[in-house]
Amino acid sequence: MDLDLQKQIIDSTQSVFDTMLMLPMTTGTALSEKVYNFKDSISGMLGFAGDIQGMLTIHCPQEVAFAITGALLGMEVDEVDEDVKDTIGEMANMVLGGIKEGFLEHGIQINLAVPTILAGRSYRVSGMDDATWTTVPFHLDEGQFLVELKLKDRKNR
Amino acid sequence: MDLLKNITEATTEIFETMIMLDITVGDPLEENVSSFKCSVSGVIGLAGTCKGMLAVHAPDDVAKAITSSFLGMEVEEVNDDVTDAIGELSNMLAGNIKMVLDEAGKDVTLSIPSCIYGEEYSMDCVADAEWVVVPFTIDAGTFLVELQIKSA
Repeated sequence: MDLDLQKQIIDSTQSVFDTMLMLPMTTGTALSEKVYNFKDSISGMLGFAGDIQGMLTIHCPQEVAFAITGALLGMEVDEVDEDVKDTIGEMANMVLGGIKEGFLEHGIQINLAVPTILAGRSYRVSGMDDATWTTVPFHLDEGQFLVELKLKDRKNR
Repeated sequence: MDLLKNITEATTEIFETMIMLDITVGDPLEENVSSFKCSVSGVIGLAGTCKGMLAVHAPDDVAKAITSSFLGMEVEEVNDDVTDAIGELSNMLAGNIKMVLDEAGKDVTLSIPSCIYGEEYSMDCVADAEWVVVPFTIDAGTFLVELQIKSA
Protein backbone atom coordinates (compact mmCIF):
# COMPACT_ATOMS: atom_id res chain seq x y z
CA MET A 1 0.00 0.00 0.00
CA ASP A 2 1.63 3.23 -1.12
CA LEU A 3 -0.51 5.19 1.28
CA ASP A 4 1.39 7.57 3.54
CA LEU A 5 -0.74 7.39 6.69
CA GLN A 6 1.25 10.01 8.55
CA LYS A 7 0.75 12.46 5.68
CA GLN A 8 -2.97 11.67 5.54
CA ILE A 9 -3.32 12.41 9.26
CA ILE A 10 -1.28 15.62 9.10
CA ASP A 11 -2.95 17.01 5.96
CA SER A 12 -6.44 16.39 7.28
CA THR A 13 -5.80 17.64 10.83
CA GLN A 14 -4.01 20.74 9.53
CA SER A 15 -6.88 21.49 7.20
CA VAL A 16 -9.46 21.19 10.00
CA PHE A 17 -7.44 23.55 12.18
CA ASP A 18 -6.87 26.06 9.37
CA THR A 19 -10.44 26.21 8.21
CA MET A 20 -12.53 25.56 11.31
CA LEU A 21 -10.54 26.49 14.37
CA MET A 22 -8.05 29.16 13.30
CA LEU A 23 -5.70 28.04 16.05
CA PRO A 24 -1.94 28.05 15.54
CA MET A 25 -0.68 24.49 15.61
CA THR A 26 2.57 22.72 14.94
CA THR A 27 2.96 19.16 13.81
CA GLY A 28 5.30 16.64 15.38
CA THR A 29 6.64 13.45 13.89
CA ALA A 30 4.85 10.15 14.17
CA LEU A 31 5.48 8.36 17.47
CA SER A 32 7.36 5.09 17.37
CA GLU A 33 5.62 3.74 20.47
CA LYS A 34 1.97 3.21 21.14
CA VAL A 35 0.42 5.39 23.82
CA TYR A 36 -2.15 3.65 26.02
CA ASN A 37 -2.43 5.72 29.17
CA PHE A 38 -4.47 8.89 29.51
CA LYS A 39 -5.03 11.09 32.53
CA ASP A 40 -7.54 13.94 32.80
CA SER A 41 -8.14 13.60 29.09
CA ILE A 42 -10.82 13.37 26.45
CA SER A 43 -10.67 11.01 23.51
CA GLY A 44 -12.91 11.05 20.45
CA MET A 45 -13.09 7.64 18.75
CA LEU A 46 -14.58 6.94 15.35
CA GLY A 47 -14.62 3.57 13.64
CA PHE A 48 -14.73 2.99 9.91
CA ALA A 49 -15.14 0.08 7.53
CA GLY A 50 -15.20 -0.61 3.81
CA ASP A 51 -12.14 -1.43 1.71
CA ILE A 52 -10.18 -1.16 4.92
CA GLN A 53 -11.33 -1.36 8.51
CA GLY A 54 -9.99 0.73 11.31
CA MET A 55 -10.45 3.37 13.96
CA LEU A 56 -9.42 6.98 14.32
CA THR A 57 -8.94 8.40 17.81
CA ILE A 58 -8.06 11.91 18.92
CA HIS A 59 -6.63 12.06 22.44
CA CYS A 60 -6.62 15.49 24.12
CA PRO A 61 -5.57 16.55 27.61
CA GLN A 62 -8.40 18.59 29.14
CA GLU A 63 -6.71 21.96 28.63
CA VAL A 64 -6.23 21.24 24.94
CA ALA A 65 -9.84 20.10 24.59
CA PHE A 66 -10.98 23.34 26.29
CA ALA A 67 -8.86 25.43 23.89
CA ILE A 68 -10.21 23.63 20.83
CA THR A 69 -13.81 23.89 22.04
CA GLY A 70 -13.34 27.56 22.95
CA ALA A 71 -11.95 28.30 19.49
CA LEU A 72 -14.70 26.42 17.69
CA LEU A 73 -17.59 27.85 19.69
CA GLY A 74 -16.09 31.26 20.42
CA MET A 75 -16.51 31.04 24.19
CA GLU A 76 -14.58 30.25 27.34
CA VAL A 77 -14.76 26.64 28.47
CA ASP A 78 -13.39 25.29 31.75
CA GLU A 79 -15.15 22.00 32.42
CA VAL A 80 -15.78 18.78 30.53
CA ASP A 81 -19.37 19.35 29.49
CA GLU A 82 -21.55 18.41 26.52
CA ASP A 83 -19.99 21.19 24.41
CA VAL A 84 -16.51 19.78 24.89
CA LYS A 85 -17.59 16.21 24.22
CA ASP A 86 -19.54 17.22 21.11
CA THR A 87 -16.58 19.23 19.84
CA ILE A 88 -14.04 16.44 20.25
CA GLY A 89 -16.47 13.98 18.63
CA GLU A 90 -16.98 16.41 15.77
CA MET A 91 -13.19 16.85 15.44
CA ALA A 92 -12.86 13.08 14.98
CA ASN A 93 -15.61 13.26 12.37
CA MET A 94 -13.94 16.11 10.48
CA VAL A 95 -10.41 14.69 10.59
CA LEU A 96 -11.58 11.24 9.49
CA GLY A 97 -13.76 12.90 6.83
CA GLY A 98 -10.61 14.46 5.38
CA ILE A 99 -8.75 11.16 5.54
CA LYS A 100 -11.68 9.48 3.81
CA GLU A 101 -11.26 11.94 0.90
CA GLY A 102 -7.53 11.24 0.86
CA PHE A 103 -8.14 7.49 0.79
CA LEU A 104 -10.62 7.92 -2.05
CA GLU A 105 -7.90 9.56 -4.18
CA HIS A 106 -6.05 6.25 -3.79
CA GLY A 107 -9.14 4.29 -4.79
CA ILE A 108 -9.90 3.16 -1.23
CA GLN A 109 -13.45 3.62 -0.06
CA ILE A 110 -14.50 3.72 3.58
CA ASN A 111 -17.70 4.44 5.49
CA LEU A 112 -17.70 6.08 8.91
CA ALA A 113 -19.43 4.85 12.06
CA VAL A 114 -20.57 7.29 14.77
CA PRO A 115 -18.17 9.00 17.20
CA THR A 116 -17.81 7.85 20.79
CA ILE A 117 -16.31 10.15 23.39
CA LEU A 118 -14.22 8.94 26.31
CA ALA A 119 -13.38 11.21 29.20
CA GLY A 120 -12.00 10.70 32.64
CA ARG A 121 -9.42 11.03 35.30
CA SER A 122 -7.56 7.88 34.34
CA TYR A 123 -8.19 5.41 31.54
CA ARG A 124 -6.33 3.26 29.09
CA VAL A 125 -7.20 2.50 25.51
CA SER A 126 -5.88 -0.64 23.93
CA GLY A 127 -6.48 -1.94 20.47
CA MET A 128 -6.10 -5.27 18.86
CA ASP A 129 -2.43 -5.78 18.25
CA ASP A 130 -2.88 -7.15 14.76
CA ALA A 131 -3.52 -3.60 13.60
CA THR A 132 -1.17 -1.02 12.14
CA TRP A 133 -0.93 2.06 14.38
CA THR A 134 0.10 5.51 13.24
CA THR A 135 0.09 8.20 15.93
CA VAL A 136 0.97 11.82 15.21
CA PRO A 137 1.35 14.46 17.94
CA PHE A 138 0.25 18.07 17.35
CA HIS A 139 1.10 21.02 19.56
CA LEU A 140 -0.99 23.99 20.64
CA ASP A 141 -0.01 26.63 23.21
CA GLU A 142 -2.03 24.65 25.76
CA GLY A 143 -0.28 21.37 25.12
CA GLN A 144 -0.08 18.36 22.88
CA PHE A 145 -2.80 16.17 21.45
CA LEU A 146 -2.52 12.92 19.52
CA VAL A 147 -4.26 11.74 16.39
CA GLU A 148 -4.09 7.97 16.14
CA LEU A 149 -5.11 5.89 13.13
CA LYS A 150 -5.40 2.13 13.50
CA LEU A 151 -5.87 -0.02 10.42
CA LYS A 152 -6.56 -3.70 10.30
CA ASP A 153 -3.83 -5.49 8.40
CA ARG A 154 -5.12 -6.64 5.08
CA LYS A 155 -4.31 -10.23 4.45
CA ASN A 156 -5.13 -10.27 0.75
CA ARG A 157 -2.66 -7.66 -0.39
CA MET B 1 -35.92 -3.37 14.00
CA ASP B 2 -36.17 -4.98 17.41
CA LEU B 3 -32.77 -4.06 18.82
CA LEU B 4 -33.56 -5.45 22.26
CA LYS B 5 -34.42 -8.88 20.90
CA ASN B 6 -31.35 -8.88 18.66
CA ILE B 7 -28.98 -8.00 21.48
CA THR B 8 -30.52 -10.50 23.87
CA GLU B 9 -30.33 -13.34 21.35
CA ALA B 10 -26.81 -12.50 20.22
CA THR B 11 -25.45 -12.21 23.76
CA THR B 12 -27.20 -15.36 25.00
CA GLU B 13 -25.94 -17.35 22.04
CA ILE B 14 -22.34 -16.22 22.43
CA PHE B 15 -22.34 -16.96 26.15
CA GLU B 16 -23.83 -20.41 25.57
CA THR B 17 -21.58 -21.43 22.72
CA MET B 18 -18.31 -19.54 23.14
CA ILE B 19 -17.91 -18.31 26.69
CA MET B 20 -19.75 -21.13 28.47
CA LEU B 21 -21.17 -19.10 31.33
CA ASP B 22 -24.78 -19.00 32.52
CA ILE B 23 -26.28 -15.56 32.04
CA THR B 24 -29.54 -13.95 33.07
CA VAL B 25 -31.05 -11.17 30.99
CA GLY B 26 -32.32 -8.08 32.79
CA ASP B 27 -34.76 -5.39 31.71
CA PRO B 28 -33.37 -2.81 29.29
CA LEU B 29 -32.28 0.40 31.01
CA GLU B 30 -34.48 3.44 30.73
CA GLU B 31 -31.55 5.78 30.98
CA ASN B 32 -28.24 5.25 29.34
CA VAL B 33 -25.23 4.81 31.59
CA SER B 34 -22.12 6.71 30.62
CA SER B 35 -19.91 6.69 33.75
CA PHE B 36 -17.83 3.70 34.66
CA LYS B 37 -15.49 2.90 37.56
CA CYS B 38 -12.85 0.16 37.53
CA SER B 39 -14.37 -1.29 34.40
CA VAL B 40 -13.48 -2.60 30.97
CA SER B 41 -15.39 -1.49 27.87
CA GLY B 42 -15.10 -3.02 24.42
CA VAL B 43 -16.30 -0.83 21.56
CA ILE B 44 -16.71 -1.40 17.85
CA GLY B 45 -18.15 0.83 15.14
CA LEU B 46 -20.76 -0.13 12.54
CA ALA B 47 -20.73 1.61 9.16
CA GLY B 48 -22.68 1.32 5.93
CA THR B 49 -26.38 1.90 5.22
CA CYS B 50 -26.84 1.85 9.00
CA LYS B 51 -24.23 3.29 11.27
CA GLY B 52 -23.60 3.13 14.94
CA MET B 53 -21.62 1.46 17.66
CA LEU B 54 -21.80 -1.53 19.91
CA ALA B 55 -20.20 -1.53 23.36
CA VAL B 56 -19.82 -4.02 26.20
CA HIS B 57 -19.24 -2.51 29.64
CA ALA B 58 -18.02 -4.88 32.36
CA PRO B 59 -16.78 -4.14 35.88
CA ASP B 60 -13.23 -5.52 36.35
CA ASP B 61 -14.41 -8.65 38.22
CA VAL B 62 -16.96 -9.50 35.54
CA ALA B 63 -14.45 -8.87 32.76
CA LYS B 64 -11.98 -11.22 34.50
CA ALA B 65 -14.64 -13.92 34.95
CA ILE B 66 -15.63 -13.71 31.27
CA THR B 67 -12.00 -13.90 30.20
CA SER B 68 -11.24 -16.82 32.52
CA SER B 69 -14.12 -18.83 31.15
CA PHE B 70 -13.46 -17.83 27.53
CA LEU B 71 -9.77 -18.68 27.63
CA GLY B 72 -10.04 -21.54 30.11
CA MET B 73 -7.50 -20.07 32.50
CA GLU B 74 -7.52 -18.04 35.67
CA VAL B 75 -7.03 -14.32 35.22
CA GLU B 76 -5.87 -12.33 38.26
CA GLU B 77 -5.75 -8.80 36.90
CA VAL B 78 -6.96 -6.72 33.99
CA ASN B 79 -4.22 -7.49 31.50
CA ASP B 80 -3.93 -7.84 27.72
CA ASP B 81 -5.84 -11.13 27.82
CA VAL B 82 -8.80 -9.37 29.42
CA THR B 83 -8.81 -6.39 27.06
CA ASP B 84 -8.45 -8.71 24.06
CA ALA B 85 -11.30 -10.90 25.32
CA ILE B 86 -13.68 -8.00 25.92
CA GLY B 87 -12.71 -6.44 22.57
CA GLU B 88 -13.34 -9.79 20.91
CA LEU B 89 -16.68 -10.13 22.71
CA SER B 90 -17.80 -6.79 21.26
CA ASN B 91 -16.55 -7.98 17.86
CA MET B 92 -18.55 -11.22 18.06
CA LEU B 93 -21.69 -9.44 19.23
CA ALA B 94 -21.41 -6.85 16.47
CA GLY B 95 -20.83 -9.65 13.93
CA ASN B 96 -24.05 -11.26 15.08
CA ILE B 97 -25.98 -7.96 14.90
CA LYS B 98 -24.50 -7.35 11.44
CA MET B 99 -25.96 -10.64 10.18
CA VAL B 100 -29.39 -9.70 11.47
CA LEU B 101 -29.18 -6.26 9.86
CA ASP B 102 -27.95 -7.71 6.57
CA GLU B 103 -30.88 -10.13 6.56
CA ALA B 104 -33.17 -7.14 7.04
CA GLY B 105 -31.76 -5.64 3.83
CA LYS B 106 -29.15 -3.35 5.38
CA ASP B 107 -25.54 -3.43 4.39
CA VAL B 108 -23.32 -3.03 7.44
CA THR B 109 -19.60 -3.48 7.92
CA LEU B 110 -17.66 -3.44 11.17
CA SER B 111 -14.69 -1.34 12.21
CA ILE B 112 -12.00 -2.84 14.42
CA PRO B 113 -12.72 -3.22 18.13
CA SER B 114 -11.04 -1.10 20.74
CA CYS B 115 -10.91 -1.62 24.46
CA ILE B 116 -11.07 1.06 27.15
CA TYR B 117 -10.39 0.41 30.81
CA GLY B 118 -9.51 2.36 33.89
CA GLU B 119 -10.39 3.61 37.31
CA GLU B 120 -12.83 6.24 36.20
CA TYR B 121 -14.05 7.20 32.75
CA SER B 122 -17.14 8.15 30.84
CA MET B 123 -18.23 7.07 27.40
CA ASP B 124 -20.80 8.99 25.38
CA CYS B 125 -22.06 8.43 21.89
CA VAL B 126 -22.72 11.78 20.24
CA ALA B 127 -24.88 10.41 17.46
CA ASP B 128 -28.54 11.24 17.62
CA ALA B 129 -29.25 7.56 17.35
CA GLU B 130 -31.68 4.91 18.46
CA TRP B 131 -30.18 3.12 21.45
CA VAL B 132 -30.75 0.22 23.75
CA VAL B 133 -28.77 -0.91 26.80
CA VAL B 134 -29.37 -4.35 28.25
CA PRO B 135 -27.93 -5.66 31.54
CA PHE B 136 -26.82 -9.29 31.76
CA THR B 137 -25.86 -10.99 35.00
CA ILE B 138 -23.36 -13.78 35.60
CA ASP B 139 -22.17 -15.09 38.97
CA ALA B 140 -19.43 -12.45 39.12
CA GLY B 141 -21.82 -9.57 38.56
CA THR B 142 -23.63 -7.56 35.91
CA PHE B 143 -22.38 -6.19 32.60
CA LEU B 144 -24.07 -4.03 29.99
CA VAL B 145 -24.41 -4.40 26.26
CA GLU B 146 -25.12 -1.12 24.48
CA LEU B 147 -26.16 -0.68 20.86
CA GLN B 148 -26.57 2.68 19.16
CA ILE B 149 -27.73 2.75 15.60
CA LYS B 150 -29.12 5.12 13.01
CA SER B 151 -29.81 5.08 9.31
CA ALA B 152 -26.97 6.65 7.35
